[in-house]
Amino acid sequence: MTPPKTRKSGELAFAAFLSLASLVLLYNAYAISGFEALSAPGAIPMATTLVMVITTAIIFIKTNRAKPDGETSFWVDIMPLRIAVVTLMLIGYALALKPIGFLPTSAVFLLVVIKYLSRRSWAFSIGISLLSLVIIYLVFRIVFTVLMPAGIVPEGEALAWVRTLFSGAN
Amino acid sequence: MFDSLMYFLTVWTQPELLFLVGLGTLAGIYVGAIPGLSVTMAVSILISFTFSWDVYPAISLMIGTYMGGVYGGSRTAILLNIPGAPSAIATAMDGYPMAQKGEAGVAIGVTTVMSFVGGLIGILVLAVAAPLVSDFALGFQPRDYMLLAVLGILLVGSLSGGSLLKGIFAGAFGIAIGAVGMDPLTFTERFTFDTQLMRGGVSFIAVMIGMFGVSEALHQLHHIDTPAVKQKIGRIVPSWGVVRKYLPLSMQTSTIGVVIGALPGTGGDIAALMAYDHAKRVTKNPEVPFGEGAMEGLVAPETANNAAVGGAFIPMMTLGIPGDAVTAIMIGALFIHGLNPGPMLMIDKPDMFWFIVGALSLANCFMLIFGLTGIRVFTKIVEMPRAVLIPLILLLSIVGAYAVNNSITDIYWMLGFGVFGYFMKHYDYPLGPVILGVILSRLLDDNWRRAIISERESLPRFFEGIITSPLSLTLFVAVILIFVSQTPLWGSVKSRLARKAA
Repeated sequence: MTPPKTRKSGELAFAAFLSLASLVLLYNAYAISGFEALSAPGAIPMATTLVMVITTAIIFIKTNRAKPDGETSFWVDIMPLRIAVVTLMLIGYALALKPIGFLPTSAVFLLVVIKYLSRRSWAFSIGISLLSLVIIYLVFRIVFTVLMPAGIVPEGEALAWVRTLFSGAN
Repeated sequence: MFDSLMYFLTVWTQPELLFLVGLGTLAGIYVGAIPGLSVTMAVSILISFTFSWDVYPAISLMIGTYMGGVYGGSRTAILLNIPGAPSAIATAMDGYPMAQKGEAGVAIGVTTVMSFVGGLIGILVLAVAAPLVSDFALGFQPRDYMLLAVLGILLVGSLSGGSLLKGIFAGAFGIAIGAVGMDPLTFTERFTFDTQLMRGGVSFIAVMIGMFGVSEALHQLHHIDTPAVKQKIGRIVPSWGVVRKYLPLSMQTSTIGVVIGALPGTGGDIAALMAYDHAKRVTKNPEVPFGEGAMEGLVAPETANNAAVGGAFIPMMTLGIPGDAVTAIMIGALFIHGLNPGPMLMIDKPDMFWFIVGALSLANCFMLIFGLTGIRVFTKIVEMPRAVLIPLILLLSIVGAYAVNNSITDIYWMLGFGVFGYFMKHYDYPLGPVILGVILSRLLDDNWRRAIISERESLPRFFEGIITSPLSLTLFVAVILIFVSQTPLWGSVKSRLARKAA
């Protein structure tokens, strides 16, 4: 196995992070039951985190020895603005989902991300995001019966109302 | 015997299940054909949506998707030289040159029929071999299961990423994730950091969707400006003469596919590459040289990767050890429906086994039908620009992560693993072993503890047990060999031996 001669931008920091995180986890695994017994609840966690510490340490040393490739730049190749923005929007979505509810949050999320990524007209973005949201809602709410947080939209009541309409017609 | 046949026919005779398998296959073909969407992504999202369903419909849909997806990857490999899935990498080598010569229709036709042949052989072997393997597996000791689990994780780690170190790290990381929460045997807290949040453990669905849905979608953002895929799906049924000509080769490569698929840790991608290599060696005078559009170069990987599907179900159903990331996710699907794959499943629930065999064979037939007729209406979906597709995948991932436990926490986990997986992918850490580790964590832990308790906590006795049992010894040697063959030590030993010989 030949060690990679060059490393990507940020690779060393990632390796360092993994090494440190593995050490923390190993300490944590030791705290579960120590060296109490081979069959203790902490035995496998300790073994696996030890493996993690060893492998990440070797990876770190190897990565440290490799030269930076000089081609990749962290903010261009690894985490360009576009990906950072989408990631932040995802986090925003997750935070807003419970208080505001599935329908409005998803509509805004789809609209903004599609508009941002496609750089097409607002009409296109609004049309596509609303259409896909309607399809997703119908498929998952009605067919898969997935319950999403209703938030500020009284969708349960709305659905019940639609159902009474149909049952009334029968 | 009669019962088995009845269970087998369940899916063929119930219109609802028949429809779901067909729908799944169709969806799978398109998911496989769209570069950037993978079967692992689709099935992991599907698990969460179908988990409130009965087990039969849920499994029907997922098996259809799996089977269709393995085949669908060949479409883009042939038409665009972009393998839609790793198992189609070998297909691109001769499929794309054929398309360049204007023979895309022939290539797709042959690929479809050969995928069907391969799939059929895989399923036949599954039906015959799995009951035998599970009988055999009843005699397995806990230590054998433990060794099998380690073997599977090591194999995925060493074969999928290149760097064994990163593979081992990923596998160990997965096992650690699987251990989070309350220990089921002693109710000790593990990796909970004294928080209520961690006590319930990390939902493996959230890990799966994060790693295969969100991280892949984020990764695809790099290629957002690549023009959308335009596909022509024609209707070309190959002549019987062509099929008959390549039948002998397809039998050999299907066998390779089943065997590779059945080994824990190796799946369709490796099977396809090995079959391609085999075809190259046994075809003395190809009409067209390999790499320039040889039909043999298309037949071999396509039979092998579909045959590997049946093969991969053998260790999955009989031992509970997944063959690769997709079967790891299928095991997750069975778990969530309260089924515990392993030798006891075959005894307790033979209906489930034969049902799966039936669903696989039905999906295989649907794949043949859809593949040969081609449905033009759906080509629009493949042409959907990524700027629209990626936000939709992200939304589906969030809905999927939430749906299983109706918990916002799962969304945070999913996003966390998504971003982490994105970095892992970027720095060439394989993701497959993480999922395998999460799925096998419990099995590994339980069996280790059972094994060591039965040896009265004595390591020497544990190793004595390994050495005196032929099966354990074989597995143990295999684990050691994989490990040693990937370390620098092996290289130096080999060169020393070579020097001695000279």
